[in-house]
Amino acid sequence: MRKKNWVLIRRVFLLLLFIAVTLYSLFPMYWMVVSGLRAGRSLFEPLLLPGPYSWQGYKTILSLTDFPTYYVNSILIAVGTTVLTVAVVTPMAYALVRSRLPGMMLMVRAMLFAYMFPALLLAIPIYIFLVKIGLDDTRLSLILTHSTFTLPLGVWLMWGFFKNFPFEVEESAFIDGCSRLQAIYRIIMPLTLPGVLTVVLFAFVLSWSDFVFSLILITSDELKTLPYGLASIDDAYDANWGELMAGSTMICLPLLALFAFLSRYFIRGLSMGSVKG
Amino acid sequence: MVTLRRTASVALPAPREVSSAGPLERRDRKIFLAFLAPGMLLGIGALFIPVIYAIQLSFFHAESFIDEPTFVGLGNYIRVFSEPRYWQAFWHGLFYAVATVALQVVIGIAIALLLHQEFRGRNWLRSAALAPYILPTVVVVYIWKWLLNINYGIFNVFLENVGVGPIAWFSSPVAAWFSIIFVSVWYWTPFVTITFLAALQTISDDLYDAAAVDGANAWKRLIHITLPVLKPVLIVIVMLRTIFMFNKFDIVWLMTNGGPLTTTEHLPILAYVKTFDMFDIGGGTAIATSIFVFLALLIWIYFRMFPLEEH
Repeated sequence: MRKKNWVLIRRVFLLLLFIAVTLYSLFPMYWMVVSGLRAGRSLFEPLLLPGPYSWQGYKTILSLTDFPTYYVNSILIAVGTTVLTVAVVTPMAYALVRSRLPGMMLMVRAMLFAYMFPALLLAIPIYIFLVKIGLDDTRLSLILTHSTFTLPLGVWLMWGFFKNFPFEVEESAFIDGCSRLQAIYRIIMPLTLPGVLTVVLFAFVLSWSDFVFSLILITSDELKTLPYGLASIDDAYDANWGELMAGSTMICLPLLALFAFLSRYFIRGLSMGSVKG
Repeated sequence: MVTLRRTASVALPAPREVSSAGPLERRDRKIFLAFLAPGMLLGIGALFIPVIYAIQLSFFHAESFIDEPTFVGLGNYIRVFSEPRYWQAFWHGLFYAVATVALQVVIGIAIALLLHQEFRGRNWLRSAALAPYILPTVVVVYIWKWLLNINYGIFNVFLENVGVGPIAWFSSPVAAWFSIIFVSVWYWTPFVTITFLAALQTISDDLYDAAAVDGANAWKRLIHITLPVLKPVLIVIVMLRTIFMFNKFDIVWLMTNGGPLTTTEHLPILAYVKTFDMFDIGGGTAIATSIFVFLALLIWIYFRMFPLEEH
Protein backbone atom coordinates (compact mmCIF):
# COMPACT_ATOMS: atom_id res chain seq x y z
CA MET A 1 0.00 0.00 0.00
CA ARG A 2 2.74 2.45 0.99
CA LYS A 3 4.67 1.51 -2.12
CA LYS A 4 1.62 2.20 -4.27
CA ASN A 5 1.18 5.68 -2.76
CA TRP A 6 4.81 6.46 -3.33
CA VAL A 7 4.53 5.50 -6.99
CA LEU A 8 1.49 7.76 -7.37
CA ILE A 9 3.24 10.73 -5.71
CA ARG A 10 6.24 10.19 -7.94
CA ARG A 11 4.01 10.16 -11.02
CA VAL A 12 2.19 13.38 -10.10
CA PHE A 13 5.47 15.05 -9.21
CA LEU A 14 7.02 14.03 -12.53
CA LEU A 15 3.97 15.24 -14.42
CA LEU A 16 4.14 18.67 -12.75
CA LEU A 17 7.84 18.96 -13.52
CA PHE A 18 7.13 17.82 -17.05
CA ILE A 19 4.62 20.64 -17.55
CA ALA A 20 6.87 23.22 -15.89
CA VAL A 21 9.90 22.34 -18.03
CA THR A 22 7.81 22.31 -21.20
CA LEU A 23 6.30 25.73 -20.51
CA TYR A 24 9.65 27.19 -19.46
CA SER A 25 11.37 25.97 -22.62
CA LEU A 26 8.70 26.27 -25.25
CA PHE A 27 6.37 29.13 -24.32
CA PRO A 28 8.68 31.88 -25.67
CA MET A 29 8.99 30.04 -28.97
CA TYR A 30 5.26 29.41 -29.10
CA TRP A 31 4.67 33.11 -28.49
CA MET A 32 7.05 34.00 -31.32
CA VAL A 33 5.14 31.82 -33.80
CA VAL A 34 1.73 33.04 -32.61
CA SER A 35 2.71 36.74 -32.66
CA GLY A 36 4.24 36.39 -36.12
CA LEU A 37 0.87 35.22 -37.41
CA ARG A 38 -1.03 38.18 -35.98
CA ALA A 39 -1.45 41.71 -37.25
CA GLY A 40 -3.04 44.97 -36.22
CA ARG A 41 -4.85 45.30 -32.92
CA SER A 42 -4.89 41.58 -32.13
CA LEU A 43 -1.10 41.75 -31.69
CA PHE A 44 -1.56 43.84 -28.58
CA GLU A 45 -4.30 41.79 -26.98
CA PRO A 46 -3.32 39.16 -24.44
CA LEU A 47 -4.84 36.17 -26.27
CA LEU A 48 -2.99 33.06 -25.18
CA LEU A 49 -4.42 30.78 -27.85
CA PRO A 50 -3.30 31.23 -31.47
CA GLY A 51 -5.25 33.47 -33.83
CA PRO A 52 -6.75 35.52 -35.34
CA TYR A 53 -4.41 34.54 -38.15
CA SER A 54 -2.89 36.99 -40.62
CA TRP A 55 0.08 36.67 -42.99
CA GLN A 56 0.58 40.44 -42.97
CA GLY A 57 3.82 40.32 -40.96
CA TYR A 58 5.35 37.77 -43.34
CA LYS A 59 4.19 39.68 -46.43
CA THR A 60 5.63 42.94 -45.19
CA ILE A 61 9.03 41.62 -44.16
CA LEU A 62 9.44 39.55 -47.33
CA SER A 63 8.38 42.24 -49.80
CA LEU A 64 9.41 45.55 -48.25
CA THR A 65 12.81 44.61 -46.79
CA ASP A 66 15.94 42.76 -47.93
CA PHE A 67 15.03 39.76 -45.78
CA PRO A 68 15.05 37.28 -48.73
CA THR A 69 18.59 38.40 -49.68
CA TYR A 70 19.75 37.93 -46.08
CA TYR A 71 18.26 34.45 -46.19
CA VAL A 72 20.25 33.42 -49.27
CA ASN A 73 23.44 34.83 -47.72
CA SER A 74 22.88 32.94 -44.49
CA ILE A 75 22.34 29.65 -46.30
CA LEU A 76 25.49 30.05 -48.43
CA ILE A 77 27.65 31.02 -45.47
CA ALA A 78 26.35 28.44 -42.98
CA VAL A 79 26.64 25.57 -45.48
CA GLY A 80 30.11 26.75 -46.53
CA THR A 81 31.29 26.94 -42.92
CA THR A 82 29.85 23.52 -42.07
CA VAL A 83 31.45 21.78 -45.05
CA LEU A 84 34.81 23.43 -44.40
CA THR A 85 34.69 22.56 -40.69
CA VAL A 86 33.80 18.89 -41.13
CA ALA A 87 36.35 18.42 -43.93
CA VAL A 88 39.14 19.93 -41.84
CA VAL A 89 38.24 18.78 -38.36
CA THR A 90 37.55 15.05 -38.83
CA PRO A 91 40.97 13.99 -40.22
CA MET A 92 42.72 16.40 -37.86
CA ALA A 93 41.09 15.02 -34.73
CA TYR A 94 41.81 11.46 -35.87
CA ALA A 95 45.48 12.27 -36.37
CA LEU A 96 45.63 14.06 -33.03
CA VAL A 97 44.45 10.94 -31.23
CA ARG A 98 46.18 8.19 -33.21
CA SER A 99 49.39 9.55 -34.74
CA ARG A 100 51.55 9.63 -31.57
CA LEU A 101 53.52 12.41 -33.20
CA PRO A 102 55.13 14.77 -30.67
CA GLY A 103 53.13 17.80 -29.57
CA MET A 104 49.65 16.40 -30.14
CA MET A 105 48.41 17.17 -26.64
CA LEU A 106 49.87 20.64 -26.98
CA MET A 107 47.83 21.16 -30.13
CA VAL A 108 44.63 20.02 -28.41
CA ARG A 109 45.34 22.49 -25.63
CA ALA A 110 46.04 25.22 -28.19
CA MET A 111 42.63 24.49 -29.72
CA LEU A 112 40.87 24.81 -26.37
CA PHE A 113 42.86 27.95 -25.81
CA ALA A 114 41.77 29.35 -29.17
CA TYR A 115 38.16 28.44 -28.50
CA MET A 116 38.01 30.58 -25.38
CA PHE A 117 39.06 33.65 -27.34
CA PRO A 118 36.38 36.32 -27.39
CA ALA A 119 34.93 36.59 -30.89
CA LEU A 120 35.24 40.32 -30.52
CA LEU A 121 38.99 40.21 -29.93
CA LEU A 122 39.37 38.17 -33.11
CA ALA A 123 36.94 40.23 -35.14
CA ILE A 124 38.82 43.51 -34.64
CA PRO A 125 42.24 42.41 -36.01
CA ILE A 126 40.66 40.17 -38.65
CA TYR A 127 38.66 43.16 -39.83
CA ILE A 128 41.78 45.34 -40.09
CA PHE A 129 43.57 42.51 -41.90
CA LEU A 130 40.75 42.02 -44.37
CA VAL A 131 40.53 45.76 -45.03
CA LYS A 132 44.23 45.70 -45.93
CA ILE A 133 43.94 42.77 -48.37
CA GLY A 134 40.57 43.98 -49.68
CA LEU A 135 38.62 40.91 -48.55
CA ASP A 136 36.40 42.63 -46.00
CA ASP A 137 32.69 42.83 -46.72
CA THR A 138 32.61 39.47 -48.60
CA ARG A 139 30.80 36.18 -47.99
CA LEU A 140 34.13 34.32 -48.06
CA SER A 141 35.40 36.44 -45.17
CA LEU A 142 32.45 35.31 -43.06
CA ILE A 143 33.01 31.62 -43.89
CA LEU A 144 36.67 31.90 -42.88
CA THR A 145 35.96 33.85 -39.71
CA HIS A 146 33.10 31.58 -38.66
CA SER A 147 35.55 28.69 -38.83
CA THR A 148 37.61 30.44 -36.13
CA PHE A 149 35.02 29.21 -33.64
CA THR A 150 33.72 26.09 -35.38
CA LEU A 151 37.24 24.68 -35.93
CA PRO A 152 38.35 24.59 -32.29
CA LEU A 153 34.94 23.37 -31.15
CA GLY A 154 34.90 20.67 -33.84
CA VAL A 155 38.42 19.50 -33.02
CA TRP A 156 37.53 19.43 -29.34
CA LEU A 157 34.36 17.39 -29.97
CA MET A 158 35.94 14.95 -32.43
CA TRP A 159 39.05 14.59 -30.30
CA GLY A 160 36.88 13.47 -27.41
CA PHE A 161 34.99 11.19 -29.77
CA PHE A 162 38.07 9.45 -31.21
CA LYS A 163 39.72 9.26 -27.80
CA ASN A 164 36.91 7.09 -26.51
CA PHE A 165 36.81 5.12 -29.72
CA PRO A 166 38.18 1.62 -29.04
CA PHE A 167 41.47 1.04 -30.81
CA GLU A 168 40.60 -2.66 -31.05
CA VAL A 169 38.15 -1.90 -33.87
CA GLU A 170 40.91 -0.58 -36.12
CA GLU A 171 43.41 -3.10 -34.86
CA SER A 172 41.29 -5.98 -36.04
CA ALA A 173 41.04 -4.29 -39.45
CA PHE A 174 44.84 -3.99 -39.61
CA ILE A 175 45.21 -7.64 -38.66
CA ASP A 176 42.85 -8.49 -41.52
CA GLY A 177 45.25 -6.67 -43.85
CA CYS A 178 43.65 -3.26 -44.21
CA SER A 179 45.90 -0.24 -44.71
CA ARG A 180 45.32 2.86 -42.59
CA LEU A 181 43.24 4.61 -45.25
CA GLN A 182 41.19 1.47 -45.94
CA ALA A 183 40.51 1.06 -42.23
CA ILE A 184 39.45 4.69 -41.98
CA TYR A 185 37.23 4.48 -45.04
CA ARG A 186 35.57 1.14 -44.32
CA ILE A 187 35.53 0.83 -40.55
CA ILE A 188 36.01 4.20 -38.90
CA MET A 189 34.05 6.59 -41.10
CA PRO A 190 30.72 4.75 -40.76
CA LEU A 191 31.18 4.54 -36.99
CA THR A 192 32.14 8.21 -36.82
CA LEU A 193 28.83 9.41 -38.23
CA PRO A 194 27.29 10.34 -34.86
CA GLY A 195 30.37 12.43 -34.05
CA VAL A 196 30.39 14.07 -37.47
CA LEU A 197 26.71 14.89 -37.22
CA THR A 198 27.34 16.53 -33.87
CA VAL A 199 29.96 18.73 -35.50
CA VAL A 200 27.60 19.44 -38.43
CA LEU A 201 24.87 20.51 -36.05
CA PHE A 202 27.13 22.77 -34.01
CA ALA A 203 28.91 24.29 -37.00
CA PHE A 204 25.70 25.06 -38.85
CA VAL A 205 23.90 26.45 -35.81
CA LEU A 206 26.86 28.62 -34.75
CA SER A 207 27.46 30.00 -38.23
CA TRP A 208 23.75 30.61 -38.88
CA SER A 209 23.37 32.38 -35.52
CA ASP A 210 26.51 34.52 -35.61
CA PHE A 211 25.86 38.20 -35.07
CA VAL A 212 29.26 39.59 -34.04
CA PHE A 213 31.34 38.85 -37.15
CA SER A 214 28.54 39.91 -39.47
CA LEU A 215 28.15 43.17 -37.52
CA ILE A 216 31.84 43.98 -37.75
CA LEU A 217 32.88 42.60 -41.16
CA ILE A 218 29.86 43.37 -43.33
CA THR A 219 28.85 46.86 -44.40
CA SER A 220 26.93 46.26 -47.66
CA ASP A 221 23.27 45.62 -47.09
CA GLU A 222 23.10 42.93 -49.78
CA LEU A 223 25.77 40.82 -47.99
CA LYS A 224 24.27 40.82 -44.49
CA THR A 225 23.25 37.55 -42.87
CA LEU A 226 19.92 37.03 -41.12
CA PRO A 227 20.76 37.91 -37.49
CA TYR A 228 22.44 41.20 -38.39
CA GLY A 229 19.83 41.74 -41.09
CA LEU A 230 16.93 41.43 -38.64
CA ALA A 231 18.60 43.85 -36.23
CA SER A 232 19.13 46.38 -39.02
CA ILE A 233 15.52 45.98 -40.19
CA ASP A 234 14.53 46.85 -36.61
CA ASP A 235 16.79 49.92 -36.76
CA ALA A 236 16.02 51.15 -40.27
CA TYR A 237 12.30 50.51 -40.66
CA ASP A 238 9.54 51.14 -38.23
CA ALA A 239 8.99 47.38 -37.93
CA ASN A 240 6.25 46.23 -35.58
CA TRP A 241 6.43 43.20 -33.30
CA GLY A 242 4.39 41.06 -35.69
CA GLU A 243 6.91 41.60 -38.48
CA LEU A 244 9.90 41.03 -36.20
CA MET A 245 8.36 37.80 -34.85
CA ALA A 246 7.57 36.66 -38.41
CA GLY A 247 11.20 37.27 -39.35
CA SER A 248 12.41 35.50 -36.20
CA THR A 249 10.24 32.49 -36.98
CA MET A 250 11.68 32.26 -40.49
CA ILE A 251 15.23 32.46 -39.11
CA CYS A 252 14.45 29.57 -36.75
CA LEU A 253 12.83 27.27 -39.30
CA PRO A 254 15.98 25.56 -40.67
CA LEU A 255 17.43 25.27 -37.17
CA LEU A 256 14.29 23.62 -35.82
CA ALA A 257 14.14 21.28 -38.82
CA LEU A 258 17.80 20.34 -38.37
CA PHE A 259 17.28 19.87 -34.66
CA ALA A 260 14.18 17.72 -35.09
CA PHE A 261 16.14 15.52 -37.47
CA LEU A 262 19.48 15.42 -35.65
CA SER A 263 18.73 15.69 -31.93
CA ARG A 264 18.67 11.89 -31.74
CA TYR A 265 22.20 11.65 -33.19
CA PHE A 266 23.21 14.60 -31.14
CA ILE A 267 22.49 12.95 -27.82
CA ARG A 268 23.63 9.53 -28.99
CA GLY A 269 26.82 10.90 -30.50
CA LEU A 270 27.93 12.24 -27.17
CA SER A 271 27.54 8.93 -25.41
CA MET A 272 29.90 6.49 -27.07
CA GLY A 273 27.54 4.24 -28.98
CA SER A 274 29.80 1.79 -30.76
CA VAL A 275 31.29 0.24 -27.63
CA LYS A 276 28.03 -1.18 -26.44
CA GLY A 277 27.69 -3.18 -29.67
CA MET B 1 30.75 -7.57 -19.14
CA VAL B 2 29.73 -4.33 -20.82
CA THR B 3 31.12 -2.32 -17.94
CA LEU B 4 34.46 -4.08 -18.04
CA ARG B 5 34.91 -3.50 -21.71
CA ARG B 6 34.04 0.18 -21.43
CA THR B 7 36.50 0.77 -18.62
CA ALA B 8 39.24 -0.95 -20.59
CA SER B 9 38.73 1.15 -23.70
CA VAL B 10 38.85 4.40 -21.74
CA ALA B 11 41.83 3.44 -19.63
CA LEU B 12 44.04 2.04 -22.40
CA PRO B 13 45.04 5.24 -24.27
CA ALA B 14 46.96 6.50 -21.24
CA PRO B 15 50.04 4.26 -21.50
CA ARG B 16 49.94 4.56 -25.28
CA GLU B 17 50.37 8.31 -25.19
CA VAL B 18 53.49 7.92 -23.11
CA SER B 19 55.07 5.24 -25.31
CA SER B 20 56.81 6.22 -28.53
CA ALA B 21 55.26 5.68 -31.95
CA GLY B 22 54.89 2.06 -33.01
CA PRO B 23 55.57 0.62 -36.46
CA LEU B 24 52.01 1.28 -37.63
CA GLU B 25 52.22 4.95 -36.69
CA ARG B 26 55.64 5.37 -38.31
CA ARG B 27 54.43 3.76 -41.53
CA ASP B 28 51.47 6.15 -41.71
CA ARG B 29 53.27 9.30 -40.61
CA LYS B 30 52.70 11.02 -43.98
CA ILE B 31 48.98 10.31 -43.86
CA PHE B 32 48.80 11.78 -40.37
CA LEU B 33 50.68 14.91 -41.43
CA ALA B 34 48.33 15.35 -44.39
CA PHE B 35 45.40 15.00 -41.98
CA LEU B 36 46.79 17.66 -39.69
CA ALA B 37 47.89 20.19 -42.32
CA PRO B 38 44.58 21.86 -43.36
CA GLY B 39 43.46 22.37 -39.77
CA MET B 40 46.83 23.79 -38.75
CA LEU B 41 46.85 26.10 -41.76
CA LEU B 42 43.37 27.40 -40.96
CA GLY B 43 44.20 27.67 -37.28
CA ILE B 44 47.38 29.63 -37.91
CA GLY B 45 45.91 31.85 -40.63
CA ALA B 46 42.56 32.68 -39.07
CA LEU B 47 43.36 32.43 -35.36
CA PHE B 48 47.03 32.63 -34.48
CA ILE B 49 48.13 35.50 -36.74
CA PRO B 50 45.13 37.75 -35.95
CA VAL B 51 45.58 37.18 -32.22
CA ILE B 52 49.25 38.10 -32.37
CA TYR B 53 48.34 41.08 -34.52
CA ALA B 54 45.70 42.21 -31.99
CA ILE B 55 48.13 41.98 -29.11
CA GLN B 56 50.64 43.94 -31.17
CA LEU B 57 48.03 46.60 -32.00
CA SER B 58 47.38 47.15 -28.30
CA PHE B 59 50.83 48.76 -28.06
CA PHE B 60 50.07 51.26 -30.83
CA HIS B 61 47.98 54.38 -31.15
CA ALA B 62 45.57 54.42 -34.07
CA GLU B 63 42.40 56.39 -34.76
CA SER B 64 41.37 54.70 -38.00
CA PHE B 65 41.71 51.30 -39.61
CA ILE B 66 43.72 52.57 -42.56
CA ASP B 67 46.30 54.94 -41.01
CA GLU B 68 49.77 53.80 -40.04
CA PRO B 69 49.68 53.30 -36.24
CA THR B 70 52.31 54.87 -33.97
CA PHE B 71 54.06 52.95 -31.20
CA VAL B 72 53.12 54.03 -27.67
CA GLY B 73 54.38 51.09 -25.60
CA LEU B 74 52.19 50.42 -22.59
CA GLY B 75 50.43 53.78 -23.06
CA ASN B 76 47.08 52.27 -24.03
CA TYR B 77 47.09 49.94 -21.05
CA ILE B 78 47.99 52.67 -18.56
CA ARG B 79 45.28 54.93 -19.99
CA VAL B 80 42.61 52.21 -20.05
CA PHE B 81 43.37 50.83 -16.59
CA SER B 82 43.22 54.28 -15.02
CA GLU B 83 39.64 54.79 -16.23
CA PRO B 84 36.97 53.94 -13.62
CA ARG B 85 34.77 52.89 -16.53
CA TYR B 86 37.12 49.96 -17.21
CA TRP B 87 36.90 48.62 -13.65
CA GLN B 88 33.17 49.16 -13.52
CA ALA B 89 32.89 47.06 -16.70
CA PHE B 90 35.22 44.41 -15.27
CA TRP B 91 33.08 43.92 -12.14
CA HIS B 92 29.91 43.93 -14.23
CA GLY B 93 31.34 41.12 -16.38
CA LEU B 94 32.41 39.09 -13.37
CA PHE B 95 29.03 39.53 -11.70
CA TYR B 96 27.24 38.54 -14.90
CA ALA B 97 29.44 35.46 -15.42
CA VAL B 98 29.18 34.17 -11.83
CA ALA B 99 25.41 34.75 -11.58
CA THR B 100 24.55 33.18 -14.94
CA VAL B 101 26.91 30.20 -14.61
CA ALA B 102 25.69 29.33 -11.11
CA LEU B 103 22.04 29.45 -12.19
CA GLN B 104 22.69 27.57 -15.43
CA VAL B 105 24.53 24.76 -13.70
CA VAL B 106 21.95 24.28 -10.95
CA ILE B 107 18.93 24.44 -13.26
CA GLY B 108 20.70 22.49 -16.02
CA ILE B 109 21.62 19.59 -13.72
CA ALA B 110 18.13 19.51 -12.22
CA ILE B 111 16.59 19.24 -15.69
CA ALA B 112 19.16 16.65 -16.76
CA LEU B 113 18.36 14.47 -13.74
CA LEU B 114 14.65 14.81 -14.55
CA LEU B 115 15.19 13.90 -18.19
CA HIS B 116 17.21 10.86 -17.15
CA GLN B 117 14.17 9.35 -15.39
CA GLU B 118 12.12 6.71 -17.14
CA PHE B 119 8.70 8.01 -18.13
CA ARG B 120 6.47 8.24 -21.15
CA GLY B 121 7.16 11.23 -23.39
CA ARG B 122 10.72 11.47 -22.13
CA ASN B 123 12.24 11.79 -25.59
CA TRP B 124 9.81 14.52 -26.48
CA LEU B 125 10.56 16.47 -23.31
CA ARG B 126 14.28 16.01 -23.92
CA SER B 127 14.02 17.72 -27.30
CA ALA B 128 11.78 20.44 -25.84
CA ALA B 129 14.22 21.22 -23.04
CA LEU B 130 17.14 21.45 -25.46
CA ALA B 131 15.35 23.62 -28.03
CA PRO B 132 16.16 27.14 -26.70
CA TYR B 133 19.88 26.49 -27.18
CA ILE B 134 19.60 26.28 -30.95
CA LEU B 135 17.89 29.66 -31.39
CA PRO B 136 20.11 32.50 -32.62
CA THR B 137 20.89 35.15 -30.01
CA VAL B 138 19.14 37.83 -32.05
CA VAL B 139 15.92 35.81 -32.08
CA VAL B 140 16.13 35.11 -28.36
CA VAL B 141 16.61 38.79 -27.65
CA TYR B 142 13.70 39.89 -29.83
CA ILE B 143 11.36 37.25 -28.38
CA TRP B 144 12.14 38.33 -24.82
CA LYS B 145 12.05 42.02 -25.63
CA TRP B 146 8.55 41.39 -26.96
CA LEU B 147 7.53 39.21 -23.98
CA LEU B 148 8.87 41.84 -21.55
CA ASN B 149 7.61 44.86 -23.51
CA ILE B 150 6.43 47.59 -21.14
CA ASN B 151 3.04 48.23 -22.75
CA TYR B 152 1.92 45.08 -24.53
CA GLY B 153 4.31 42.32 -23.42
CA ILE B 154 2.41 39.29 -22.17
CA PHE B 155 4.46 39.23 -18.94
CA ASN B 156 3.50 42.74 -18.01
CA VAL B 157 -0.15 42.12 -18.93
CA PHE B 158 -0.08 39.17 -16.53
CA LEU B 159 1.69 41.19 -13.81
CA GLU B 160 -0.84 43.96 -14.22
CA ASN B 161 -3.69 41.50 -13.80
CA VAL B 162 -2.29 40.19 -10.52
CA GLY B 163 -1.61 43.76 -9.42
CA VAL B 164 2.21 43.82 -9.39
CA GLY B 165 3.17 45.47 -12.64
CA PRO B 166 3.76 46.68 -15.17
CA ILE B 167 7.54 46.59 -14.67
CA ALA B 168 9.88 48.50 -17.00
CA TRP B 169 12.28 45.61 -17.57
CA PHE B 170 14.98 47.65 -19.28
CA SER B 171 14.78 51.12 -17.72
CA SER B 172 16.41 50.75 -14.31
CA PRO B 173 19.84 49.16 -13.76
CA VAL B 174 18.49 46.47 -11.42
CA ALA B 175 15.64 45.50 -13.76
CA ALA B 176 17.95 45.54 -16.79
CA TRP B 177 20.44 43.25 -15.02
CA PHE B 178 17.64 40.95 -13.95
CA SER B 179 16.36 40.73 -17.53
CA ILE B 180 19.81 40.10 -19.03
CA ILE B 181 20.64 37.39 -16.48
CA PHE B 182 17.25 35.72 -16.75
CA VAL B 183 17.33 35.60 -20.56
CA SER B 184 20.96 34.41 -20.60
CA VAL B 185 20.17 31.60 -18.17
CA TRP B 186 17.09 30.61 -20.17
CA TYR B 187 19.14 30.56 -23.35
CA TRP B 188 22.25 28.66 -22.24
CA THR B 189 20.94 26.23 -19.62
CA PRO B 190 20.36 23.54 -22.30
CA PHE B 191 24.13 23.42 -22.89
CA VAL B 192 24.54 22.19 -19.32
CA THR B 193 21.56 19.86 -19.67
CA ILE B 194 22.83 18.29 -22.91
CA THR B 195 26.35 17.74 -21.64
CA PHE B 196 25.29 16.45 -18.26
CA LEU B 197 22.65 14.17 -19.74
CA ALA B 198 25.12 12.68 -22.22
CA ALA B 199 27.49 11.99 -19.35
CA LEU B 200 24.69 10.45 -17.27
CA GLN B 201 24.00 8.03 -20.10
CA THR B 202 27.59 6.77 -20.16
CA ILE B 203 27.09 5.34 -16.68
CA SER B 204 26.21 1.68 -17.12
CA ASP B 205 22.87 0.56 -15.75
CA ASP B 206 24.68 -2.47 -14.32
CA LEU B 207 26.41 -0.19 -11.87
CA TYR B 208 23.09 1.07 -10.50
CA ASP B 209 21.61 -2.43 -10.52
CA ALA B 210 24.55 -3.76 -8.54
CA ALA B 211 24.28 -0.89 -6.05
CA ALA B 212 20.53 -1.47 -5.72
CA VAL B 213 21.15 -5.16 -5.01
CA ASP B 214 23.60 -4.10 -2.29
CA GLY B 215 20.81 -2.01 -0.77
CA ALA B 216 21.75 1.53 -1.85
CA ASN B 217 18.73 3.85 -2.16
CA ALA B 218 18.24 6.47 -4.88
CA TRP B 219 19.94 9.21 -2.88
CA LYS B 220 22.97 7.04 -2.09
CA ARG B 221 23.25 6.04 -5.72
CA LEU B 222 23.26 9.72 -6.69
CA ILE B 223 25.97 10.57 -4.13
CA HIS B 224 28.18 7.51 -4.57
CA ILE B 225 27.85 6.73 -8.28
CA THR B 226 26.39 9.57 -10.33
CA LEU B 227 28.20 12.57 -8.90
CA PRO B 228 31.72 11.04 -8.60
CA VAL B 229 31.53 9.75 -12.17
CA LEU B 230 30.30 13.13 -13.39
CA LYS B 231 32.73 15.31 -11.43
CA PRO B 232 35.09 15.80 -14.42
CA VAL B 233 32.14 16.68 -16.66
CA LEU B 234 30.89 19.18 -14.09
CA ILE B 235 34.31 20.82 -13.96
CA VAL B 236 34.47 21.08 -17.74
CA ILE B 237 30.95 22.55 -17.83
CA VAL B 238 31.71 25.19 -15.21
CA MET B 239 35.00 26.02 -16.93
CA LEU B 240 33.51 26.41 -20.39
CA ARG B 241 30.43 28.29 -19.20
CA THR B 242 32.50 30.76 -17.16
CA ILE B 243 34.74 31.45 -20.11
CA PHE B 244 31.85 31.91 -22.51
CA MET B 245 29.63 33.95 -20.21
CA PHE B 246 32.47 36.35 -19.45
CA ASN B 247 32.78 36.91 -23.21
CA LYS B 248 29.15 37.29 -24.18
CA PHE B 249 28.83 40.40 -26.25
CA ASP B 250 25.84 40.04 -28.52
CA ILE B 251 23.11 39.28 -25.97
CA VAL B 252 23.96 42.24 -23.72
CA TRP B 253 24.57 44.53 -26.68
CA LEU B 254 21.24 43.67 -28.32
CA MET B 255 19.26 43.84 -25.08
CA THR B 256 20.51 47.05 -23.52
CA ASN B 257 23.50 48.43 -25.50
CA GLY B 258 25.18 48.52 -22.08
CA GLY B 259 22.54 50.90 -20.78
CA PRO B 260 20.80 52.57 -19.10
CA LEU B 261 23.90 54.82 -19.41
CA THR B 262 26.76 52.37 -18.71
CA THR B 263 25.14 50.37 -15.91
CA THR B 264 25.12 47.06 -17.81
CA GLU B 265 28.31 47.69 -19.76
CA HIS B 266 30.89 44.92 -19.40
CA LEU B 267 34.36 44.56 -20.93
CA PRO B 268 33.41 43.11 -24.34
CA ILE B 269 30.96 45.98 -24.87
CA LEU B 270 33.51 48.54 -23.73
CA ALA B 271 36.06 47.06 -26.16
CA TYR B 272 33.56 47.32 -29.02
CA VAL B 273 32.46 50.86 -28.14
CA LYS B 274 36.07 52.02 -27.86
CA THR B 275 37.09 50.46 -31.18
CA PHE B 276 34.11 51.14 -33.41
CA ASP B 277 32.32 54.11 -31.82
CA MET B 278 35.25 56.09 -30.44
CA PHE B 279 37.79 54.85 -33.03
CA ASP B 280 40.29 54.27 -30.22
CA ILE B 281 41.69 51.08 -31.76
CA GLY B 282 44.69 50.82 -29.45
CA GLY B 283 42.45 51.22 -26.39
CA GLY B 284 39.92 48.70 -27.71
CA THR B 285 42.53 46.04 -28.43
CA ALA B 286 44.18 46.71 -25.06
CA ILE B 287 40.86 45.97 -23.35
CA ALA B 288 40.33 42.89 -25.49
CA THR B 289 43.84 41.66 -24.66
CA SER B 290 43.22 42.21 -20.96
CA ILE B 291 40.05 40.07 -21.20
CA PHE B 292 42.13 37.38 -22.81
CA VAL B 293 44.85 37.51 -20.15
CA PHE B 294 42.25 37.24 -17.41
CA LEU B 295 40.63 34.25 -19.12
CA ALA B 296 43.99 32.60 -19.81
CA LEU B 297 44.66 32.87 -16.10
CA LEU B 298 41.31 31.23 -15.33
CA ILE B 299 41.91 28.34 -17.70
CA TRP B 300 45.45 27.88 -16.45
CA ILE B 301 44.16 27.54 -12.90
CA TYR B 302 41.63 24.95 -14.08
CA PHE B 303 44.27 22.96 -15.91
CA ARG B 304 46.51 23.03 -12.85
CA MET B 305 43.68 21.83 -10.63
CA PHE B 306 42.29 19.23 -12.99
CA PRO B 307 44.74 18.06 -15.68
CA LEU B 308 43.21 16.73 -18.90
CA GLU B 309 45.05 13.43 -18.60
CA GLU B 310 43.81 12.69 -15.08
CA HIS B 311 42.24 9.25 -14.73
